[in-house]
Amino acid sequence: MTTRKGNIVLFVLNNAPLILFAAVFGGFATLSPKFLAVENLVNILIQSASIGIVATGMTFVLLTAGIDLSVGSIMFLSAAAAGKLIAGGQPISLAFAVAIAIGVGYGAINAFFITRLKILPFIVTLSTQFAGRGLSLLITQTRAMNLPRLVEVGSSKILGMPAPVWLFGAVVVFAHVVLMKTAFGRHIYAIGNDAEGAKKAGINTTRVVFLVYVVSGLCAAMGGLVYLSRLGLVSPKLGLQREFAAIAAAVLGGTSLFGGRGKVLPGTFLGAALIQTVESGLVFIKASEYVYPLVTSFVIFFAVFVDSLRHVKLQQLKRRRIRVAATG
Amino acid sequence: MLPKNHGNATDLTSSVPVRSRAVWRRLLFSEHFVLYLSVLYFLAVWPFAPRLASPRNLLDIFSNMLPLLSVAIGQTFVLVTAGIDLSVTSIIALSSVFGASVMTSDGGLLSGSILAVPAGIAVMLATGVAIGLLNGTAIARLRMPPFMVTLTTMMFFSGFAVWLTGSQKISGLPRAFVGLGVGSVGFIPYPFLIAAVLATAAHVTLSQTVVGRWIYAIGHNARAARVSGVRVNRTVVFAYAASGFCAAVASVLYTARLETGDPVLGQRILLDIIAAVVIGGTSLFGGKGKVLWTVFGVLFITLIDNSLIMLEFSHFTIMIVKGAVILFAALMDALRNRLLAAQ
Repeated sequence: MTTRKGNIVLFVLNNAPLILFAAVFGGFATLSPKFLAVENLVNILIQSASIGIVATGMTFVLLTAGIDLSVGSIMFLSAAAAGKLIAGGQPISLAFAVAIAIGVGYGAINAFFITRLKILPFIVTLSTQFAGRGLSLLITQTRAMNLPRLVEVGSSKILGMPAPVWLFGAVVVFAHVVLMKTAFGRHIYAIGNDAEGAKKAGINTTRVVFLVYVVSGLCAAMGGLVYLSRLGLVSPKLGLQREFAAIAAAVLGGTSLFGGRGKVLPGTFLGAALIQTVESGLVFIKASEYVYPLVTSFVIFFAVFVDSLRHVKLQQLKRRRIRVAATG
Repeated sequence: MLPKNHGNATDLTSSVPVRSRAVWRRLLFSEHFVLYLSVLYFLAVWPFAPRLASPRNLLDIFSNMLPLLSVAIGQTFVLVTAGIDLSVTSIIALSSVFGASVMTSDGGLLSGSILAVPAGIAVMLATGVAIGLLNGTAIARLRMPPFMVTLTTMMFFSGFAVWLTGSQKISGLPRAFVGLGVGSVGFIPYPFLIAAVLATAAHVTLSQTVVGRWIYAIGHNARAARVSGVRVNRTVVFAYAASGFCAAVASVLYTARLETGDPVLGQRILLDIIAAVVIGGTSLFGGKGKVLWTVFGVLFITLIDNSLIMLEFSHFTIMIVKGAVILFAALMDALRNRLLAAQ
């Protein structure tokens, strides 16, 4: 009997992100029935695309027990460079290609310091965060840039769905397949679980970790472009502290900060959507703007709390089984 | 690669290079390394910015150091337990708002009363300790990861400070409180006295007391510490409460100097704080760190900030150079550790 009760508790805890998501959704829907309108749901997806894509790259990094604090600056730098080129009359495709290249290069610089010079990811990405933001401010001269032409790209529709949602979906599905079905993905989990063991098993850990930061840079640049094409605006605050939102989305989706545990689908996708649902919901019920961070942080805190409850519970269950085996 | 033992021949024929190499090595491996690095940096920049060494600027550097130093000392406690405290900036902001709303002459709770200043300071310190206790309890008892706990409390309490004030600053602080920022006992300014007392107390706690030893033990290996009878939960809660207290002291210093309660006070310095402690040599993985190292790390960061302003760089260039310098310091540290391990 106790095991069945334990199983129910475990089921609830295991699916906590999903249940929390449903609860938040249900809560806003009862407060304002229009919240469930298809238009609004699509809006939530559009708005979570930018941070969701960044969080997908962050998930790769977190899985290796690393961290990337520079993603906000990568978003800013790639969007600023693209904005500058477009404002200068260059074609949009060229500007986007340059922005993506910047993201990849930025990630490679992070990766170089982390894998070759063996400096902690926290410190490396912290310093490149400073440097990248400084560089972007230099490019934009701390002025806001208006690019109304881009909003057309951002709001263009393919098969009835806006382009950012397609990109978001493609990135998440592709990342999921890479993590689940390829050797690279398995190596990432192996390194996160036990870096030393992975190395002894013959995995080229240096290469895998290097690529992980490049992936994060690439995703951050894409996130920056999605943001840019949604608002058509480069402001000096673009991407500021977004690294925390990206980490929160990944962790909300069940990714561990200590590596080796987490998934992009449904995990990170759901995490990003949850954060955005909370914010959109608060806009919907016309809450004061000051309340947003209070509610958002409370929801994240609660999700992390449930996750650690689950961890403790799992350990208790394990312990009980060992004791039974020992006495019987 | 350094040779492991020197042959007699080299010792006799080239005693000068060997001696200079020994000096270099002692400098590189000394625990005052970051201090030497700061001095070296100072001397390198001095010719380009002569004002750097003016008595007035030196005083500026030291007074800018003090609030940063007190938050960084608290952060050292937490980092040694292998945790992290991202909520310190929100503690600085919320303490500032709470303290100011008790003391302010326009509509403060105790405006005009003799008790206003002591009560205000007590409220500020209590705020810091309370948030620290909350962080510590969530981390130790509920087993939540420190990064996420303090990230969410950071978001929550900075949002709370802004919400309370409607993002307005609170002015009209009593003169006795403002005096804390600028006044002095003889030649010694109050902020210096406060920071010195705090640093000494923290140093003694970490190096001479049982709690201090427990903090290191937890940072080395929490499970081993628990098995050998360390009160892990209480010690972790203590470390976060200490961090909250130190952040509140910093808030007192900042608020007194700016003469206003500011809901976004200290928002920009979070990463400076952690960078300063880590550059000092305290490990992010716990078990290793000293208050003295943190003093050097804070000196280094403050010096860089000040010198870049003295060199009249633009805001953007300062950020770029600062990023590069932090990376360089980390690189030196990594090199140093590799050489140490090779010995």
